[in-house]
Amino acid sequence: MNYQNEEEIKALIENQNVGLAAIRRMLGSKTSYDMLPVSFKLVVFDTTLSVKRALNLLLQHNIVSAPLWDAKTSKFAGLLTTGDFINIIKYYFSNPDRLEIVDTMTLGGLEELERTIGAPSMDTISIHPSKPLFDACLKMLESRSGRIPLIDQDEGTNREIVVSVLTQYRILKFIALNCRETHLLQIPISELGIISTDNIHSCQMTTPVIDVIDCLTQEKLSSIPIVDENGVLINVYEAVDVLGLIKGGIYNDLSLSVGETLLRRSENFEGVCTCTPNDKLSNIMNTVRRASVHRFFVVDDNYKLLGVLSLSDILKYLLLGGSTNSPL
Amino acid sequence: MSQDNPPQNNDISMVDVCDADRQQQQNNETDSAGLSHTLSQMNIDGPDEFEDNENPDRMTVPRNKSTLIFEDDDDDEIPPYSRHQENVSDTNLSEDDDDDESVDSSHHVVSSSATPHVGQDQYKSKSDFSENSQRPQQQYSSNTGTSNTNSNPASKSNMVPVDITWQQGGDKVYVTGSFTGWRKMIGLVPVPDQPGLLHVKLQLPPGTHRFRFIVDNELRFSDFLPTATDQMGNFVNYLEVVAPPTTVDENIGGNLPNQTADSSNYQQDMGAGKPIYKQDNQAQTKQPMSARSRIAFEIEKEPDDLGDGFTRFHEEKPLKQDVEYTQDIPAVFTDPTVMEQYYLTLDQQQNNHQNMAWLTPPQLPPHLENVILNSYSGSGSDNENTSGALPIPNHVVLNHLATSSIKHNTLCVASIVRYKSKYVTQILYAPLQ
Repeated sequence: MNYQNEEEIKALIENQNVGLAAIRRMLGSKTSYDMLPVSFKLVVFDTTLSVKRALNLLLQHNIVSAPLWDAKTSKFAGLLTTGDFINIIKYYFSNPDRLEIVDTMTLGGLEELERTIGAPSMDTISIHPSKPLFDACLKMLESRSGRIPLIDQDEGTNREIVVSVLTQYRILKFIALNCRETHLLQIPISELGIISTDNIHSCQMTTPVIDVIDCLTQEKLSSIPIVDENGVLINVYEAVDVLGLIKGGIYNDLSLSVGETLLRRSENFEGVCTCTPNDKLSNIMNTVRRASVHRFFVVDDNYKLLGVLSLSDILKYLLLGGSTNSPL
Repeated sequence: MSQDNPPQNNDISMVDVCDADRQQQQNNETDSAGLSHTLSQMNIDGPDEFEDNENPDRMTVPRNKSTLIFEDDDDDEIPPYSRHQENVSDTNLSEDDDDDESVDSSHHVVSSSATPHVGQDQYKSKSDFSENSQRPQQQYSSNTGTSNTNSNPASKSNMVPVDITWQQGGDKVYVTGSFTGWRKMIGLVPVPDQPGLLHVKLQLPPGTHRFRFIVDNELRFSDFLPTATDQMGNFVNYLEVVAPPTTVDENIGGNLPNQTADSSNYQQDMGAGKPIYKQDNQAQTKQPMSARSRIAFEIEKEPDDLGDGFTRFHEEKPLKQDVEYTQDIPAVFTDPTVMEQYYLTLDQQQNNHQNMAWLTPPQLPPHLENVILNSYSGSGSDNENTSGALPIPNHVVLNHLATSSIKHNTLCVASIVRYKSKYVTQILYAPLQ
C-alpha cells in the first residue's frame, strides 16, 4: 500500500490494536449468558426423531442446526448441522440400494452411519453459559460447524439443560453492533494475513451437484463459490442449500447440475457477499451488522475471485491476531 | 387509602395480565370481548350475562378449550409477529408510534424530579398520582375484560420506585429506554457523598424494562446491571420490576396519621386487611401509633353508653365478618355424587336456561391463550432476529407444557422456564412411539 509516511502507518497499527483490545475486553468481561436475549426460543430434537422429519422441521423453523436430546440418558447428544445431512447424501450416493435405511433413519442412527463412511462424528463440544464470551468463542473455533451449545445443569435434578446455541455470526454481529471500537480497525484485510487464497475450490454452474457436495465434505467447507469460465464469481453453493435439495426426500436429484439446484433456492436468499483486498475490517463489520453473512468472497474490481474470508477467519483474528507481529 | 380493600389489592397480580393483553388489544377488539366472555362463561351464576356477551365466532374455536396449545408452523398460517408485547419491546429510536408510550414519557418528567426519600414514598406517590393517573387509565380502559375492577387508587400502587445508577464515569449521563419509548432522555444526578455515582429514581410499572445510558453523547450500557441482547441484536441493560407485596402497602397505610383521623374509617381499613375482624384490637395495639390515632383509639375503648340516653354510633359491619379460611376442600369438589347433585340443583334453579352447561369444561384462563410462540414468526422476513428472541412471556405461562396438534406422527411440546433472570422457551420434537 502507498502510505504517505511512516507515522500514518504507525497510527493505523496503533488504532487497530486499540480496537482489538477493546473488543477482547468486551468479550472477556461478558458471559454468554449476558448476551442472551431476555426471552428466546430453542428448538431441540429428540434423538429418536427421524432424519427426514428433522430436516423438514429445520426448514420450517428457518434454522440450519438444532441440539439433539437423548431422552434415555437425559443428556445433550450433539448438534445436528448441515454437515450431517451432507454425510447422509454421501452415504446414499455410495450405497444407492439402501434408500430405505436412509429414509427411515433416526437422528440417533446418524452416528453409526457417519462412522461407516469415515466422517467425523457430530460436534459434542459445549460450554457453560457463565463462562466469558471470549472462552466460548475460542472453543467455537474448534467446532466444525461454527457454533457452540451452551449447557448448564438444572439445579433441582442435576441434569443437563441446553440453554442456547451460540454461532459465529451471532458473535460477530454482537461485536459489530455493540463495540464502537470496530471502526478503529482500518488496516486493509489483505495485510492481516487472514484471507485464504491458496487452493480455493470453485465450481461452475454446470458442475454436477454431487461433485460439489463431495467437495464440501472432502475439504470441510461450508460453501463452494461458483465462477464462470473466466474465474468471475457468479454465485455460491452453500452447505445450507443441501437442505433444500433433499427436502422432498428426492435423492434422485443428485444428478442435477449446481445451476439447476439453485433454482430451488428460497427467495429469501441473502445474496453473495464480496469484499476487496483493500477493504478494512471496519467495513466488513458494518456489513456483518446489516446482513446475515456467512463468508466474504474476496474479489478484484472485475469480480474475479481471489480468495475467501470466512467468519472463523475474522473471529480468529479478532480474538488472537494483530498486536505485536502486525504484518505492516 | 380508605378504598384500599382486598379486591383491589388483588389486582396487583392483574397487572401482568394487562401487559400481555395489550397485544390482544392491538389485534382487534373482538379479542377483548372474548376475554370478558371467557370469564363470564366460567361464572356459573351468571348465565344471562353470558348469553348477552356471546360471540359466535369465539365459540367455534375448539382448540382453546382446555389445553395449552401453540400453533405448529407446519402448513398453518402464522400470526404476524407483533412488536409491542412487553412494556415496550422496540429499541429503535425513531420507529415507535405507540400511544401509551408517549404518555409514558410525559409521566417521567414528574417522577424524576420527586424527592427520593424513603419515608416520603407514600406521600410522593400520592402527589404524583394526579399526573400519573393518565397512563394507568389508558392502559386499563382498553382491557375491559380482565381489569375493570382496577380503579385509579389501586393503579397508583402499581408504580414501583426504581433507582437507576451509573458508576462508570462521564459528566453528562442520561438514561433512555423502553419506559420512555427510547425517545426521551432522563438526566442522572450525582449522589451526594458518593463521588462518581450518579442516579435517578424512576416510577416504573411492573414488567421488564430495557434501557441504555447516554454518557457524554455516547450510547453505553452498564456493567453493573443485567444485560441482554434485544431482537435487533443490540446489547442493553434490563430490569424486571416486580409489584410490591400488598401487605407492605397496608401497614404503611395504617400508620399514616391522616388516615387515623377518621376513626371509623380507620377501623374499616384495618379490618379489611384481616381475614377475621375480631383481631382488630390486637392488631392495632401492635402497631406503633401516632398521638392522634392513640386518642382515636382511646375514644373507641370508652363505654358505648355516653350518658343522657346517647349511645355511640357504630357503623354496621359487613355481614361476612365471621368468614374463616379453611384448608378443607368442600365435598362438592371431591365427591362426584355431591358434585352432580349440586349441578343438577343449579340447572333446576336456572329454569333449564343453560341446560347441562356445567358439562362443558371451563375455558382456559385467558392469559394462557397468549402463547408467545404464536405471536412469533421465525421465518422469512425478519432476518434481524438471529438469536430466536421472543417477546417476554407472562409469568403465568411459565412451567406449563404447551403442545401443538400431532402431525406426521411427531409430538411437539414446548415449555417456558426461567433460566436465571431470563426465559428459555424450549420446543422439543419427538416421534410418537
